Amino acid sequence: MDVDATWYLVLSALLFTIGGAGVLVRRNPLVMFMCVELMLNAVNISFVTFARMLNDTGGQVVVFFVLVVAAAEVVVGLGIIVAILRRQPGADADDISLLRG
Amino acid sequence: MLHLLAQAEPFRSPTVDFHAFAPEIVLSVSIVVVLLVDLVFDERGKWATSSIAGIGLLAALVPVLTLAVDGADRSLFDGAYVVDNFALVMKALFLLSGYVTILISARYIAEGDYYEGEYYFMLLCSLLGMLVMGSARDLISIFVALELLSIPAYLLAGWRKRDLRGNEASLKYYLLGVFAAAVMLYGMSLIFGVTGSTILTEIGAALDGGEAPAPIVVVGILFIVIGFAFKVSAVPFHTWAPDTYEGAPTPITAYLSVASKAAGFVALLQLVFIGFLGRSDVWGPLFWVLAAITMTVGNLIALRQTNIVRMLAYSSVAQAGFMLAPFAVAGDIDVDRGGPLAAIPPVVTYLLIYAAMNLGAFAVVMVVARKTRSGELSSYGGLFEYAPGLAVLMTVFIFALAGIPPLGGWLAKFVVFRALLDAGTPAAIVLAVIAAVNSVISLFYYASVAREMWMRPVPDGDRAPIRIPASLGSALALAAAFTLLFGVSNVATRFGDLAIFGFLP
Amino acid sequence: MDSFDDYALTAAVFLPLAGAIAMLLVPRDAEGTHKLLALATSVATLGVGGYLLANFDYDRAGDMQFGIDKPWIEVINSRYIVGIDGISLPLLILSMAIVVLVILYSWTHFPEPHNPKAFLILILILEAGMNGTFVAQDLILFFVFFEVVLLPMYFMIGVWGGENRQYAAIKFFLFTLFGSALMILSFLALFFLVQEANGGEGTFAIPDLIRLASDNITRDTQLLIFGGMFMGFAIKVPMFPFHTWLPDAHTQAPTQGSVILAAILLKLGTYGFIRIAIPILPDAAVEWAPWIGGLAVIGIIYGALGCLAQSDMKRLIAFSSVAHMGYVMLGIATLTDFGLNAAVFGMVAHGLITGMLFFVAGSVKERFHTLELARLGGLLKQAPRMGWILGFCAMASLGLPGLAGFWGEFPAILAAYNPAEGLSEELFRGYMVVAAIGTVFAAGYLLWMLQRAAFGEPKAEWDAVRISDMHWNEYAAWVPLLVFIVVLGVYPNLIFGLTDDAVRTAVSALGR
Repeated sequence: MDVDATWYLVLSALLFTIGGAGVLVRRNPLVMFMCVELMLNAVNISFVTFARMLNDTGGQVVVFFVLVVAAAEVVVGLGIIVAILRRQPGADADDISLLRG
Repeated sequence: MLHLLAQAEPFRSPTVDFHAFAPEIVLSVSIVVVLLVDLVFDERGKWATSSIAGIGLLAALVPVLTLAVDGADRSLFDGAYVVDNFALVMKALFLLSGYVTILISARYIAEGDYYEGEYYFMLLCSLLGMLVMGSARDLISIFVALELLSIPAYLLAGWRKRDLRGNEASLKYYLLGVFAAAVMLYGMSLIFGVTGSTILTEIGAALDGGEAPAPIVVVGILFIVIGFAFKVSAVPFHTWAPDTYEGAPTPITAYLSVASKAAGFVALLQLVFIGFLGRSDVWGPLFWVLAAITMTVGNLIALRQTNIVRMLAYSSVAQAGFMLAPFAVAGDIDVDRGGPLAAIPPVVTYLLIYAAMNLGAFAVVMVVARKTRSGELSSYGGLFEYAPGLAVLMTVFIFALAGIPPLGGWLAKFVVFRALLDAGTPAAIVLAVIAAVNSVISLFYYASVAREMWMRPVPDGDRAPIRIPASLGSALALAAAFTLLFGVSNVATRFGDLAIFGFLP
Repeated sequence: MDSFDDYALTAAVFLPLAGAIAMLLVPRDAEGTHKLLALATSVATLGVGGYLLANFDYDRAGDMQFGIDKPWIEVINSRYIVGIDGISLPLLILSMAIVVLVILYSWTHFPEPHNPKAFLILILILEAGMNGTFVAQDLILFFVFFEVVLLPMYFMIGVWGGENRQYAAIKFFLFTLFGSALMILSFLALFFLVQEANGGEGTFAIPDLIRLASDNITRDTQLLIFGGMFMGFAIKVPMFPFHTWLPDAHTQAPTQGSVILAAILLKLGTYGFIRIAIPILPDAAVEWAPWIGGLAVIGIIYGALGCLAQSDMKRLIAFSSVAHMGYVMLGIATLTDFGLNAAVFGMVAHGLITGMLFFVAGSVKERFHTLELARLGGLLKQAPRMGWILGFCAMASLGLPGLAGFWGEFPAILAAYNPAEGLSEELFRGYMVVAAIGTVFAAGYLLWMLQRAAFGEPKAEWDAVRISDMHWNEYAAWVPLLVFIVVLGVYPNLIFGLTDDAVRTAVSALGR
């Protein structure tokens, strides 16, 4: 089956929107965090699609950087979340409000 | 097998200009040394890490100076990495504000129950990211530099790890930071898609040609600018800033509000004035709105604060609004008055002056907190009676931030006003009026600090003088000297004028 | 010593700062050293003033002398231009002299919470700002010095002031700053609007702007720019609707603060009109003059009526300042050389006389711990010398011929009879009549004050209190002022001779 590049971009946009909405709506830090990962993957799809369209490897290189950086971010983010959950088991973003926004 | 490959494509080593990389190399070496020292020495030897970190930063300043003396613009990796005057001025700013951060950290970290070696390791890594940011002229290197400076900062913000506030500070900063990075990346992918390049100069040429489809360009620019609006804590993307500033260790707060914010502005300057230069119709109005609401909202909320760190946090939000203002009118500046690029020097000048006065204010906060163990404004009552020197210094920094001549801040505000009036369009003049009103509003909360220090009684009658540790004292002296120097001389505007891009489309 | 000519003005401005820095290095307990250092600095500055007086070329009083012109902030083409002419010189000397006398007076009169170190340093910073304002010939330089005086005064009122000091300090601060914000916008507008005429580069230099501004800016814009400057200067003067900060600031400020405020700070506003607003934008000045004159005479009457309503001696003197500055502004509003001469003379005379009145009020307050006129009375019996001095100052203030005050008021009123070309004679003659009535009021409230404070029998509550007469340092601080009030009264040409040429230069633009 021949799939047009547009569909990949639409998929990417959809994933990005779902991820973004998730971050803004969900209150569990872990879920928010996974939603950000979803957004990053949407970005990856978008980059790869454009790289194919333009026949330019630059876009594919970006994907590797994003993957590596995302891995680093996961480590840091999980560390922070674990530190919080240790002191406050079952906390969500609304519980974490010692500081008045 | 190998020799066959070698025959097929004769190996050509890429030419790498190591002089251009020297600041980063020196800093990387000191990062490794800090890590090793931390590994080898036991608790009693950890203090050495702060000295090594400080020396490393000053050592990295040396190649920055030699590059400046050399004067040639250098472009590496097909223009992805550029060392020009702009990059050098910003690198010097990052290194010096990093050095002051280390000076004000030394006692705080050593006396508290904190990991010491790792702290400086993280701080230096973050600064390395900033150095890279100063030269990054390509979407990939901007992204990598951004993450390199942000990820250690997320951890540093939560360095008080047994304190829930510290954790919260870190988590909020982290979640909003990665969210913003994702938004920015998506914007970058769109811009890459429509221009076919990640190099900023090529993007600039492609966008200027006007072949790119408009809606995607608009969304791409919008997303990228929004991504960095988080970094520079522009309203409405500022919500993390006050909480993070309050919960983070105070030296890190100073670092985030000065160096990290400056790095965000550096990225914005590069993206907007190299990559998107031709599309001021898109980003001009966007920055206008950001600047106007950032300065207004920041000031109005700052008025209500009773904690000095939160007040300074909101004041730094408001100051960011002033720095955004020249972006808003850049597209309207006549070619015979320098064109859009004439909006760069005011921003750079503002960043330099702001760094000196804000670091100074935070240094005083640190010294006072050593005695009062409090960040509440009321704990500053009667400071003038028992610590007149500190009260005078704080007065200098606070009124510099308010923009009272002859202290530094007035010149920063002045160059911004000048850029606004230079553009001269009705929108620019309205923004200038908004900025003027905001300058007056900001006086109320800045003056309230002075009133507390000079005119109120000591809250609990404890008039024991405050001892200032040597490292904090030298940080204060540095910041005060620069704040005054910037106010009465043309040093800051000189550097602002120097900071021009080397390779434009 | 020819070369010192180049540095004399710079020294006049920065010597006080150098003294302040030296004092910063001396520990706080060494009060004697601080007093000596401050006095030595101010005397040395006055010595520079003496040098200026001796080497000033009186035949060319209309030209800028001792000038220097050095690059300062190049990006905005702001330059370090200083120079003095016959208008600046008397005010500069007045400022230097008043500071010396204030420091002498302070010797034993430090207000609570004491701390001579900080207090004297603030006075020296104030002096640097005031001297700088009087010599600056570049708008940005002028603006910076104009603002330098703001913070020391804010702290002086806020820390050493009376019970309501915080309110008074912040009110003073915000009023002045609001005016400054509009003023700097006007300066910027001038900078941009002469850009083309000046070969593509904007300028803040006052001489250049005088040459370029009125021909190259449209009339409506000139009016707006003048309005911005008007706000900045009028608040500082202060003119009638903007005067409300003054009584509060004066009442709450320590004696020294009141003296400096009355004697010099208020002059920065009127000086701004004469030095900047009128020469640069003469056409706009003509349009604005009737309004300025109107507000000035309202100020005269309002200040006088305000005086009659006061029960506090210091507040009464503060309101009398509003009235006196009204005469100065009326003189300026006529836009004639005669009126401007009167205005400059009025500034100096008001500085001497009102400064003196605040000194006396401060000493009275120190002895009686109150300035309620209802509780005072019989000062002539309790402290006869001080009582006579109060009487003398009241006479000088109400404009008795033969004393300095007369030459400030009378020519200003006369000048209104014949205002500059383009101004309505009827209107200004009306102003003249009102201003003349104002002098009657002035005689009324000053004599009333004198009668309640000095005449009659002392109140019973003071029977048990020993009231001392003058101290040595009060003599030291007051006698020079009293001498000059008389000298200028009998020989006004001392000032008029100096200002006349300079004033002619200032109004010469009007005829064009």
